[in-house]
Amino acid sequence: MTLKVEDLTVCIGDRRLVGPLGFSVARGEPLTILGETGAGKSLLAQAIMGALPRGLNATGAVLLDGQRLDSLPERARQALWGRRLAMLPQEPWRALDPLMAAGSQVAEVHALIGRTPWQKARSLAEQTLTRLKLDRRAGAALPGTLSGGMAQRVAFAAATAGGAGVLLADEPTKGLDEMRRDEVVRLLADFVAEGGILITITHDIAVARALGGQAMILREGEVVESGVAERVLSAPQSAYGRELVAADPATWPLPESRPATGDSVLRAEALSVARGQRLLCAGIGFDLPAGGRLAITGPSGLGKTSLLDTLAGLIPPSAGRVERLGRARAPFGLQKLYQDPPAAFAPQVSLATSLDDLERRHGLPPDRLPSLLQRLGLAPDLLARRPRAVSGGELQRLALARVLALAPAVILADEPTSRLDPVTQRRVMAVIAEAAEEAEAAVILVTHHATMARHWALEVLDLERNAEVQTAA
Amino acid sequence: MTGGIARFIGLAGIAAMAALALAGPLLVGHDPARQNLMASLPPPLSEGHLLGTDHLGRDMAARLLAGARITLSLAAFAVLSAACFGTGLGILAGWAGGITDRLLGAFADGVLALPGLLLVLLLAAIHPNSWWTLYAGLALTLWVEFFRMSRARTRIVVAGPAVEAAQMLGLGRWHIVRRHLWPAVATQVLTLAAFGAATVVTALATLGFISVGLRPPTPEWGVMMAELLPNWREAPWTVMAPVICLAFTVACLRLCAGREEEA
Amino acid sequence: MPLAMGAASRRLAGGGMLRIVAGRCVQAVIVALVVGVVGFAMMEALPGDAAFRIAAGRYGYDAVSAAAADLVRAELGLDRPAPARLAEWLGHTLVLDLGRSVVTGERVAAAIASQLANTVSLAVAAMLVALAISLPVGCLAGLAPGGVLDRVSAVLSIGLRATPAFLLGVVLMLLLAVELRALPAAGHGRASHLILPSLTLGLFLTAVLTRVVRNAVAETVASESFQFARLKGLPLPVAFWRHGLRNASVPVVAYLGVQAALILEGVVVVESLFAWPGIGHALTHAIFQRDVPMLQGTALTLGLAFVVLSFLVDLACRALDPRMRA
Repeated sequence: MTLKVEDLTVCIGDRRLVGPLGFSVARGEPLTILGETGAGKSLLAQAIMGALPRGLNATGAVLLDGQRLDSLPERARQALWGRRLAMLPQEPWRALDPLMAAGSQVAEVHALIGRTPWQKARSLAEQTLTRLKLDRRAGAALPGTLSGGMAQRVAFAAATAGGAGVLLADEPTKGLDEMRRDEVVRLLADFVAEGGILITITHDIAVARALGGQAMILREGEVVESGVAERVLSAPQSAYGRELVAADPATWPLPESRPATGDSVLRAEALSVARGQRLLCAGIGFDLPAGGRLAITGPSGLGKTSLLDTLAGLIPPSAGRVERLGRARAPFGLQKLYQDPPAAFAPQVSLATSLDDLERRHGLPPDRLPSLLQRLGLAPDLLARRPRAVSGGELQRLALARVLALAPAVILADEPTSRLDPVTQRRVMAVIAEAAEEAEAAVILVTHHATMARHWALEVLDLERNAEVQTAA
Repeated sequence: MTGGIARFIGLAGIAAMAALALAGPLLVGHDPARQNLMASLPPPLSEGHLLGTDHLGRDMAARLLAGARITLSLAAFAVLSAACFGTGLGILAGWAGGITDRLLGAFADGVLALPGLLLVLLLAAIHPNSWWTLYAGLALTLWVEFFRMSRARTRIVVAGPAVEAAQMLGLGRWHIVRRHLWPAVATQVLTLAAFGAATVVTALATLGFISVGLRPPTPEWGVMMAELLPNWREAPWTVMAPVICLAFTVACLRLCAGREEEA
Repeated sequence: MPLAMGAASRRLAGGGMLRIVAGRCVQAVIVALVVGVVGFAMMEALPGDAAFRIAAGRYGYDAVSAAAADLVRAELGLDRPAPARLAEWLGHTLVLDLGRSVVTGERVAAAIASQLANTVSLAVAAMLVALAISLPVGCLAGLAPGGVLDRVSAVLSIGLRATPAFLLGVVLMLLLAVELRALPAAGHGRASHLILPSLTLGLFLTAVLTRVVRNAVAETVASESFQFARLKGLPLPVAFWRHGLRNASVPVVAYLGVQAALILEGVVVVESLFAWPGIGHALTHAIFQRDVPMLQGTALTLGLAFVVLSFLVDLACRALDPRMRA
């Protein structure tokens, strides 16, 4: 069985969005298409399926085992969905019907497409879910109550229950932390091992590395490089390919460990954090020196953001205490960076107005903000725009400038780069490290990306192993 | 029709109507209440009467303008009161939370216990034919809509990172209201105000028509429609006049409101 | 459109059954209190001396004297301060002791019982008209957004929505009854008398209902979950039946809460216009005639009907959307 694509191009009216590109995928040799988010990669999957949104059209040939799919009438092509071609959607918690139990959404595929009687269909669904390590309770639950990783597995079961031999996975690990990401990669690898054809679309290099097979790098809709995954990812030929590989935190140089330079600015002792009745984490203790870099990692749900809010003084600790020392005692000595850059600014006013308000409120010297902006590589004409009109990376740097203007002693960064693509992520993390060092501000970074934490921070606090502070090794 | 042009047309229409209303019956030179039974129901453009007279010989144009005054003034006052109180209290409730929120919320729910028109009808029953009672009833019913909208939006904005960031940066409450809360509710307030005005105009005419709002001889459009309806055969244009005024006013207000769907 | 636009019915979304029932009970009590206070205020606002009026009612205007009025005053406790009288008045209202009509002398409860059937038949007929138009047109327009049916129905909806119910009724009356003489203009008795009022109220309701159905269907079909159901391999009608309908009905049923207010407001206007002898008609007549017991009875009936309808909508929402059962 082979899926072949020739000269596939997706256009909207006259404008070309993606392509032309061509490739051939066989059993046992998965293809991973890499590139930044928004490069139109999802459109490829939709074009191959024949499920493009209204207004977009695709040209070029799609052949499955020699038979042309693109020339089939719409109904015939839609009849292939689930039965020969399957697509795993980007955000499964949005793709599953919120009003129907998870198990039923898998069982109905067996019953209505596999034409098995309902009883048998339900037990088949149960078996599949158990194999994917989801128990009966998960099968009977509504998708809204399942975690991201669990929802992804349900979506996988539902998408593949029709018996399709070809799976198109569109950003299957988006929004998942490292452990869940690895689980999904295993799922996909099993699919390949059982004789399926897999095309994965992702911006995460670790996924491409783990799956192996072939890799293709896209930039702004065009193929920049392609070949055997191992070779492309270890020794990329193209400039963009090299940038992309360098953006993987696993390839970052480890930070030089410096001896404890200054006095502590923030100390936590036997800290416990709870939200409402639920205790999230307990027994946290650390001593943050001036200019230090501490990363707090752990999977979602363990209260990383709540811990950060407790350190910032926004919520009281349920036990233990947080002590501010030295410069951190000043009124605005602790500042925060947010996960979604546009959400941290007033959406309906220009950035210039927001910064002016800050200047006036604190009586800042008129050259402080402009010089910070220049130092962080931001053009002044950016300020005339509103937050939504500026890219995520630039906006996060602007947020950093805003925070540094108040000369804080500690910067609390809550997943500051998880919404950014890998190349921008690398740049922003480097900027945060440099700027903080210059301003003699300590940084506490919260992230689910354990590898990035190890390669960026001087000390790592892993919440899962419960409050053990380790120095980067 | 694009939103901008539609809005402009709506605004222009209302402005024209308001200008005429302000000028009032003096513009036409007749007293709207003066009867002349000898000259009843001539067609429009007859001598001295631009739009003819009604069944009691009262000048139609003068009555329509007087009606415009009553309707537009009621709509303006009711909507303005409802918007100011509703939005202000909504922001307060959404931001303060706790007991303030619960008390205000309970009051709003209490007002909604009855369908709006029924509430106004009952209040109007106590003091019939009173502009002030109708104003109070309509403002009371409209208030809730503004309150709920601004409370819901305020809750969302105040819980979001932008406001938290502003607080951490030391920017005070006034900044938050000015840059975060007001812009979040402003467009909706204007839309609700336009819809609210259309609702008031319609409700007034409805209550007038079934004689439980303003009553004859008050020159309100709904009242006039009810009075003139029996003369449909003899003088259809006279009945049509208040209908056209009402339809025009409501259409302009809805155009001002823009493309927001109700419900 | 209802006076308190989209917020007309306060939906007790989420939370246990107990909370919903308690909330609706509180609403019912508020209705009774409001109606009671309004009735009391009306009595107080009547010109002249209540005692004198009642004495005159008993003995006739010729035979009455100041002494008789004083006796009545003492007997009925009309010289007690206002709050005490209000409390007693409200007490009667809350136990639904509605008294007798000042105009006809018959028991209010009995009069309402006979009118209720007429109002219910009007409301049901109107809802049938509304659903018969909105459901097919809304679904078809939603399945093909931007198409001819969608655009035409949008324009008609906008026009109809802006027309007050009474004007719609007058136009239909003039057209069908006066000019074409096809139907009777007003009154009650034959089945054909129901046509104009129910058509008026039905068209009035359908204006927004059609758009709500259309939007619900269009959003559901465009949603990622519907797309996924198709991509799994389910054909369009199957996907719509299993996934589309339920998701689309949630906002439609929620809107029915707003419709309940519209129906009750519409019933008052349409019955008065067409002289349909239901509760709305009785209410408006009670207002002109200052028949306070009748006014209270009819207002209370309409208000409690609103509470009951809202409660039924709450139940329907909970049944449809399992996420609401907290």
